[in-house]
Amino acid sequence: MKLIRVDFYLDWPVSIEVINLRKYVMQNLMKKGEVIRWSIIDIQNSKDSYDTKKLRIHAVLAN
Amino acid sequence: MEKSPTIFIVPTGIGCEIGGFAGDALPTAKLLASASGCLITHPNVMNGASLSEKDKNIFYVEGYSLDRFARGEIGLKRVKQQKIGIIFDSSIEHKILIRHLQVADACVATLGINVHSYVLTKNPLSIVIDSDTSKISGGVIENPDTLIEAGKTLIENGVTAIAIVAKFPDDSCSEDTNSYREGKGVDPISGVEAVISHLISKSLKVPCAHAPALNPLDLNEKLDPRTASEEIGYTFLPSVLIGLSNAPDIIELPNKNELITLHPNQLESIVVPNGALGGESVLACVERGLNIISVKNQNTLKVTNQFLNFSNFIEVNNYLEAAGIILSIKKGINLSSIQRPLKKIQEISLND
Repeated sequence: MKLIRVDFYLDWPVSIEVINLRKYVMQNLMKKGEVIRWSIIDIQNSKDSYDTKKLRIHAVLAN
Repeated sequence: MEKSPTIFIVPTGIGCEIGGFAGDALPTAKLLASASGCLITHPNVMNGASLSEKDKNIFYVEGYSLDRFARGEIGLKRVKQQKIGIIFDSSIEHKILIRHLQVADACVATLGINVHSYVLTKNPLSIVIDSDTSKISGGVIENPDTLIEAGKTLIENGVTAIAIVAKFPDDSCSEDTNSYREGKGVDPISGVEAVISHLISKSLKVPCAHAPALNPLDLNEKLDPRTASEEIGYTFLPSVLIGLSNAPDIIELPNKNELITLHPNQLESIVVPNGALGGESVLACVERGLNIISVKNQNTLKVTNQFLNFSNFIEVNNYLEAAGIILSIKKGINLSSIQRPLKKIQEISLND
């Protein structure tokens, strides 16, 4: 097993309600590896779209 | 007795004004435990290196398991005593190892804790700390498999809870370390500590907590009181052993055979620093419609409800106020009835 740090931006479309946000982030993280630790460390309104917010995710994954 | 089970989180490594240092959220935890009658919190809140305390109303649960509890995947079972095993990173120098073993003996002799055995990892864990710790503390270990192997060995020998002691690089003179000691910065090692304990929780599903093995630091007369508990002993292990000594068992759900003391369905609220709403426990509680009590507690993050717009959200100025909110929830008092101005009740029109 190898641990990797990832720090990336994820678009959060308005169609995904806040009660489904955790699952939405997890679905995206699990594509990259087995999740050990994660959190959203920043949120901003998207400059490109009114219907989207931009999440900054910091995570440690196992591969 | 009336209870309002509440999770209390102070995320590791984001420089929280209260709780971002060495067990300096412990008095707050005691207050919230007293108000709620049942508080679930993580080692980072309770561990003040050489200092710690037990509280019958507090469940000591490692962060990864705490997230799982918030998601409703595990229950907690009170135990009278855990049988603790210790994993020591094989790169710890002999003298420092002996100091830690003496702490374990002292906890048996003086506190009556059941510290059963220890194991040295086959290979060094090899800690890598993120160089940019200005905002959030982070890092990884290069040999996770050797950690898990050591934990499995302890469990095969009857251990029920695991303390981990990893060797951290000697950076006692670094700017980050000195800044932290003087109460100005983010704890540079706490992010990696969380990764280590999360790995054990995830892989072995037992109570666990981590203490770093560090070389002694030079005297610093500008020391912040919030970090002082890390300067009064040779190791940080005592608080970990005290916390684990009666940490609850982790019970996988669904489960019909084990007696569960606290089921996740009983959970009512979570208390979290304002700006730190992007953690998994908080979002799991949002998912379940629980009360999110956000407390002004300065830190490096700005993930606020301005962006999440969650309706069941209560923002307060300090933890004293949070304790009052929890008491109100526990007693079933409408929070609006205590605040002014008080609005008249609304009329709802009948549907045609």
